[in-house]
Amino acid sequence: MKYFINGILRENPVLVLMLGLCPTLAVSGTLRDAVGMGVAVIFVLLGSNLVISLIRKGVPSQLRIPVFIIVISTFVTIIDYTMQAYQPELYKMLGVFVPLIVVNCIILARAEAFASKHSVSLSILDALGIGIGFVLAIGAMGFVRELLGNGSIVGRIVLGESFHQNPVLFMVLPPGAFLVIAFLMAAMRKWRTS
Amino acid sequence: MSTKTVKLALILFVAAGVSAATLSMIYSVTKPKIDEFKVVTLQANLREVLQGAVEFPVIIPDTLWRGIDSAGVAVGIAFKVFPKGYGGPIETLVGVRNDTTVAGIIIASPAEGMRETPGLGLKVREDWFRDQFREKKKEKLFLKKDGGELDAITAATISSRAVVNGVREGIEKYAQQLVEEEE
Repeated sequence: MKYFINGILRENPVLVLMLGLCPTLAVSGTLRDAVGMGVAVIFVLLGSNLVISLIRKGVPSQLRIPVFIIVISTFVTIIDYTMQAYQPELYKMLGVFVPLIVVNCIILARAEAFASKHSVSLSILDALGIGIGFVLAIGAMGFVRELLGNGSIVGRIVLGESFHQNPVLFMVLPPGAFLVIAFLMAAMRKWRTS
Repeated sequence: MSTKTVKLALILFVAAGVSAATLSMIYSVTKPKIDEFKVVTLQANLREVLQGAVEFPVIIPDTLWRGIDSAGVAVGIAFKVFPKGYGGPIETLVGVRNDTTVAGIIIASPAEGMRETPGLGLKVREDWFRDQFREKKKEKLFLKKDGGELDAITAATISSRAVVNGVREGIEKYAQQLVEEEE
């Protein structure tokens, strides 16, 4: 349980470990995109942590990184194909994010820092915790940016039609992403140090 | 070459081999499903952009179709254009009736390789933007700021203009197919 909570708060991948900033900044313009990216990451993280934990004793230390990368990219491709074949509707929403996960350093970081040193069950808990931590962080970004930048939540207009016509457009553009993540990190830091 | 090096190379070889074998297996299982879904999606999309038509014989593979209604009458054509947007080509499927009015358009999703910016250019996929094209002839297919009748998406003029111009140029390019039908 400790490992599960750990990933959500004390070691939140985005706001504390500062990993995976690239997708967090790039794919958080709307809440729906943000959650889509987060869910795809959870799938890959679970799979890669599971397999890497299983094979951790058979992989010599010099070969860790190349083997981890093979495992991760294999998983990403499997998920890409499977989703496309059996969940085409879901794929329409998440498909664009799946290939991006290969370059998400959260996955490799957890493989190296956790799954290669811990048992399968702990690695799964870690993957869930980190994954949920990632979803919450990127989801918070998406929520704030969509609300202020488009006046809507998941496409539904909530701040009134006039605001929707004339929103703080800056927020859905890249500078808005940096601004929001800075505020979130500052809030997280304040909460952790107090 | 020490035995240790050989051992490492072998392990990496095995890892890559297992990965390749797994992927080729997954690929061969999923490929037919994926293709089948693509065919179904295309048929559904054709029916949506050219309402009334039920059969779509191919004129140019993957590019141009004729729309035939249930009585066997040719009601128009449907074609794909790939105007260059902000992030790359924007795959657009357009249905045009015999009187050269646009019947409807559908724009590919990001999962199908469309790369406009989420929150900005990607909004060309929204219903209000697509619905503007309905019942319009090519003379009116310009953005309002270019002297036409269509609203652009705020802060995404490049993507909006690309789609509008792509649809109009597509009609110019393929309109002769409609004339042939009337003869």
